Amino acid sequence: MKSVPKLIKRFVGILMLSSLLILVINFAVLAIITATQAPNGSPWTTAEQAAESMEKSEQGYKMSDEMIEELNAQNVWAVYIDNATGECVWHSDNLPDTVPLEYTASDIANTTRGYIDGYPTFTGEGEDGLIILGYPRDSYWKHMWPSWDYQFIANLPKTILIVLALNVLIIFLIYMAANTKLLKSVKPITDGIQALHTGQPVVLKEKGVLSEIAANINQTSEVLQSQNYQLKKKETARANWIAGVSHDIRTPLSMVMGYASQLESNKQLPEEERQKAAVIVKQSQRMKNLINDLNLASKLEYNMQPTHIAQVNLISVVRQVVVDFINLDISGKYPIEWLTDSNLNTVIINADKDLIKRAVSNLIQNSINHNENGCTIYVAVKEEHGKVCKIVVSDNGVGATDEQIDKLNNSPHYMVCDENTSEQRHGLGLLIVKQIAAAHKGTVEIRHSEYGGLEVEICLPV
Amino acid sequence: MDFDYLKQKRILLVDDEQELLDMVSSIFTNEGFCNVKTAKTVKEALCIAETFQPELAILDVMLPDGNGFDLMKQLKNKSDYPVLFLTARGEDEDKFRGFGLGADDYIVKPFLPKELIYRVNAILRRSYKGENPIVKLSGSEIDFDRAEVIKNGEHIALTAKEHDILAALYRNAGRIVTLDALCEAAWGDNPYGYENSLMAHIRRIREKIEVNPSQPVSLITIKGLGYKLIVGDK
Repeated sequence: MKSVPKLIKRFVGILMLSSLLILVINFAVLAIITATQAPNGSPWTTAEQAAESMEKSEQGYKMSDEMIEELNAQNVWAVYIDNATGECVWHSDNLPDTVPLEYTASDIANTTRGYIDGYPTFTGEGEDGLIILGYPRDSYWKHMWPSWDYQFIANLPKTILIVLALNVLIIFLIYMAANTKLLKSVKPITDGIQALHTGQPVVLKEKGVLSEIAANINQTSEVLQSQNYQLKKKETARANWIAGVSHDIRTPLSMVMGYASQLESNKQLPEEERQKAAVIVKQSQRMKNLINDLNLASKLEYNMQPTHIAQVNLISVVRQVVVDFINLDISGKYPIEWLTDSNLNTVIINADKDLIKRAVSNLIQNSINHNENGCTIYVAVKEEHGKVCKIVVSDNGVGATDEQIDKLNNSPHYMVCDENTSEQRHGLGLLIVKQIAAAHKGTVEIRHSEYGGLEVEICLPV
Repeated sequence: MDFDYLKQKRILLVDDEQELLDMVSSIFTNEGFCNVKTAKTVKEALCIAETFQPELAILDVMLPDGNGFDLMKQLKNKSDYPVLFLTARGEDEDKFRGFGLGADDYIVKPFLPKELIYRVNAILRRSYKGENPIVKLSGSEIDFDRAEVIKNGEHIALTAKEHDILAALYRNAGRIVTLDALCEAAWGDNPYGYENSLMAHIRRIREKIEVNPSQPVSLITIKGLGYKLIVGDK
C-alpha cells in the first residue's frame, strides 16, 4: 500500500501549485488592468492644471483656451471660487443651473470629498482661489470617507499574508475532505488488486463511485480461483495417480523380492541360478527405490507431502545418516569421512527431520551409485554467520564434466519439465534433494569436489 | 548370542492376499520359526487369535472387512503382545497413526526377507527378554542384570548412566552409535549440550572395561560421529 500515500502527495502538490499559480495570475491581471486605467483617469491632475491655467486680468478671471477645450471634450464644467469671499468669480459656460455659485467652508469640504448635485467634483488650488471641476454623473465614483485605522494600514502586509494562508488552509481542508471519501473508496480496490496475486479469494463491496471496478476485480478473482482450483485438481489427480500406481506395485514386488531372495540363499541351487536370483533381488530393489522416489518427488512437486517442521539439530540428523551408511557398508568400499568442525555440536534449524535425512541419504547414495569401484565420501555440516548452514557431501570418485555439472545445476528434470523429455534420463535422487531444499527455503549447488569427484552443497537458512 | 527360544514364539500373519501369506510363511519357516498361522480377514484373525494366543501379530493395514489399525486394537484388548504392520501404504500419516496406536514396527512393502526377520527378531527380543547374557569383551565381561563389570576377577559397579550408555552400545554391538543417540539413551528426549558429559562417562566406562583405558580396544571412538562397542574376546 505504498501507492496511496504517493498518490495523495502528488494530488496535494498539484493543488498547491495550481492555487499559487491562480493567485499570481490574478495579481498580474489586476496590475495590468489598473495600469491601463491610469492614463484616462487622474481628474485631480486635470483640476490642478485647470487651476494653474487660470489667469487674472482687469475683466476678472479667465481660463486658457486649450484648457477649456480639453474640459469641453470631456464634458466637464468648472467653477473658480475666490479664497477670500467664497464666491464664484468664474465659471465655464456649460455650468448646470443646479450648481451653487457661493460656497461656505463646509460646502468646500463636502465638495472635495464628494459630489455636487450628483456630479463627482475634483478641486485644484489656484493662485488665490480654488477651482472645482464637475465631471459627468456616470464618469467617476468617489470614496467619500477615505480614512483607515492607522494600525490597520500598518498591519496590512501581515493581514494579507494571514488571509492568504487561511485561504490555502481552507482550500486544503475542503480538498482533503472531498478526497478522503474518494480515497476511501479507492483503498479497498487497491487492497483487492494487491490481494489478487496471493491467490486469496477477493470479495469487494460493489458500492460507491468505483463499484464497477470493484465488480471487475471480484470477477477476476473468481476466474483466478476457479483456474487455481482446476490446476490444483489436476495436480492432485496426478500425484494421486502416481501414489496409486506405486501402491499397487508394492505387493507384487514384495513377492518378487521375497521369493527371489529365498532362491538366492537356497544352498541347494547351483551357484549360477543363485546369481540370477541375486540380480532379480537387486533389480527389484531398484524398482522399489524408484517407486518411493517417484512418489515422494511428485508429492513434493505438487506440495502434497505433509511436512513435519520442528526444531532439529542438523548435526545429529546428518550424523545419524552418515553412521547408518557406515554401519551398512560392510565391505568398506565406501568409507565416509566426517569433516564437521569438532567444536560445532549443535546447529538448530526448523526442518523436517525425515526429509533432511532423505536428502543427505540421496546424496551419499548418489556417490555410491556413480562410483562402482568405490570412493571416499566426505560429509560436513557448516554454519556461516549464524544465518545459513550448509551440508556438503563430496567424493573423490569419477566426478562429472563441466557440461554435465551445468546441466545438473540448471536444466529442469523430466518430471517437472514441459518440453521434449527424450534426452534427459537421470535419476530422481537429485531432484528430490532440490525439492527438499526448496521446501526448506534453501538451495542446492553442484560443483567439482576438491577431492576430485563431485560435490553437492545444500544451503539452508537457520 | 543365542535367541533360539524366540523361534518358538507364536506368530499370527494377517493379509488379504493368499500368495503373500504363503511367501511370508515360507520366509519364517526358512528361518526356523515353527509356530506361524495366517488369516485373510479381520474375522478370521480374531477367531484364530482366540485359540492360538499369538505372541506377535503381523498385520496388513487394508483388509477386506476392516482395517489393520482397528484389528490391532481388538487384538491388544484381549492380550498385550507386539504388533508389526506390513503394508503397501507408505504414507507418513499412516506410519504415525500406526505408531500412535501402539504398533511396535512398521514395514512398507516391498521388503527384503532379511529386513523382516531382522525386525521381527528385534521386536521379540525386546518383548520377551530371556536372561540377559553376560557380555564378553576383550579384557572384561559386562553383567547388565547386576550392572557390573568383571575385570580380572574383580567386580566393578556401573552407575545408572554408564549402564544406559553401555546398553545402548550393546544393542548395536559392532555398529557405530551416534553421540546423539547415546546422549538420548542417557539423558532422554532433549539431549543437546551433553557431549562433554558423555565424553566424561565414556572415559570412566573405559577405565572399568578396558585393560588399557588409554588404548581402548572394546569401546572405540569414531571421531566426530560416535562410539562402537566390540563384543567377543579376541
